[in-house]
Amino acid sequence: MNAIITQGLTKRFKDKTAVDGLNIAVEEGKLVALLGVNGAGKTTTIRMLTCLSKPSGGSAQIMGYDVVKDADKVKRLTGISTQDTAVAENLTVEENLRFMAQLYLEKQAVNDAVEETIKGFGLGDCRKKKAKLLSGGWQRRLSIAMAVIGEAKVLFLDEPTLGLDVLARRELWREIEKLKKDRTIVLTTHYMEEAEALADYIYVMIDGRIRAEGTLAQLEQLTGRKGLEEAFVSLAEG
Amino acid sequence: MNRTLVFTKRNLMEMSRDALSYIFCIAFPIVMLVIMSVVNASIPKEAGMTIFRIDNLAGGIAIFGQTFVMLFTAINVAKDRSGSFLVRLYASPMKGRDFALGYILPMLAVALVQVLISFTAAVIVAFVSDTELKPEGLLIAAVSVLPSALMFTATGFLIGTLFNEKAAPGICSIIISLGSFIGGIWFDVDKTGGVMLDISRCTPFYYATKTARSAIHMDFTYGGFAVPLIIVTASALALTALAVWAFTKRMRADAA
Repeated sequence: MNAIITQGLTKRFKDKTAVDGLNIAVEEGKLVALLGVNGAGKTTTIRMLTCLSKPSGGSAQIMGYDVVKDADKVKRLTGISTQDTAVAENLTVEENLRFMAQLYLEKQAVNDAVEETIKGFGLGDCRKKKAKLLSGGWQRRLSIAMAVIGEAKVLFLDEPTLGLDVLARRELWREIEKLKKDRTIVLTTHYMEEAEALADYIYVMIDGRIRAEGTLAQLEQLTGRKGLEEAFVSLAEG
Repeated sequence: MNRTLVFTKRNLMEMSRDALSYIFCIAFPIVMLVIMSVVNASIPKEAGMTIFRIDNLAGGIAIFGQTFVMLFTAINVAKDRSGSFLVRLYASPMKGRDFALGYILPMLAVALVQVLISFTAAVIVAFVSDTELKPEGLLIAAVSVLPSALMFTATGFLIGTLFNEKAAPGICSIIISLGSFIGGIWFDVDKTGGVMLDISRCTPFYYATKTARSAIHMDFTYGGFAVPLIIVTASALALTALAVWAFTKRMRADAA
């Protein structure tokens, strides 16, 4: 089954078309990377798929539910980690997770979800620490944990390792690897090695359209270049 | 779980950990109450000036304190809007009403606590200055100022929705200055007459102060209490509706 299907998905802002007739199909349980230079339409696509922004045209379905007509159901099935860290600064790690769990889950499921997430993300040592006192890497980890805690079936990670040092980035990769087991994940990133390490399938977006798609090997074959960065540059420079 | 309550709880927790909330919402009104009582004690009786006498001052301070609730609401909403946290919540199953009530309800609780503390301080001042202050009047006043608490909270919610983190406090400061002046908190507007009184009567601030003072004086006449209370309640409801509409509209624009 496909977890995400878009058909001609389009978003226009006045005189600019940010996403132009996007057609993608993401198989359940896969991690796909959405690559593109700044302004390619990656974040706009994610915003439409998470019901934050209404499409100007076309359609999109998450787990069979339409993002416009069934927005409530889609919101329950999706989690998002935005480009900037999204945490309540004066709340502790545990309180942030509890807050988010309470928005998505029944009362009796909240405690277990909080404990499991704290354990799963290694947040035990800082569970009583206010979010604003955490380092950038730990804040990002908490932000992703908050996206996951609602038992999201489809997870959108918008540049999750942006601005993190190499060690923090590697640690987050390990967390994302673990999440792949039982979720469909859409990842946007500017780090090609990140997409290489994590993605099962890659979409390259240029000017709001899909320029190319496939596995790393397929993109290498398509461009005749070795490595994702070289293949991406070749596609982006057109 | 009930998402309105969950968001209300989060906002209460955030506020309770912010020192500014204690300064703005609790300490400052009490400081003003004490200062103005000292001023009152310094004014010769022959001057016949009673505006700072505790039975008049307590009602004014209750409304003055609420203007700071407005400021704090505006800062909270504008601050939340400036980061990604609110956008993250827009993608959750929360509805517009959950956000609106989640911001407004905790501030109403703060306003209630504030007025109870201010009136307790007023009782102490009245005891020290040997001025009569009817406890039943204070109790009725504490309930009667709830509509104005909603009015100021809704105004803060609206300002925090429309303006950013830097502009919102400035806009609120203008309203605090103008509101306390034309609302008759620091002088008796009814004794001014003319254009000044006409301007005051065109704003809900005047009626908010009048409601509080009338309740404390146990003056429950139609013109002295009922009409001002109706005007304040109507203003509160209208501003709340406007603020919720503006927030829902802005929510969509922020996320787009």
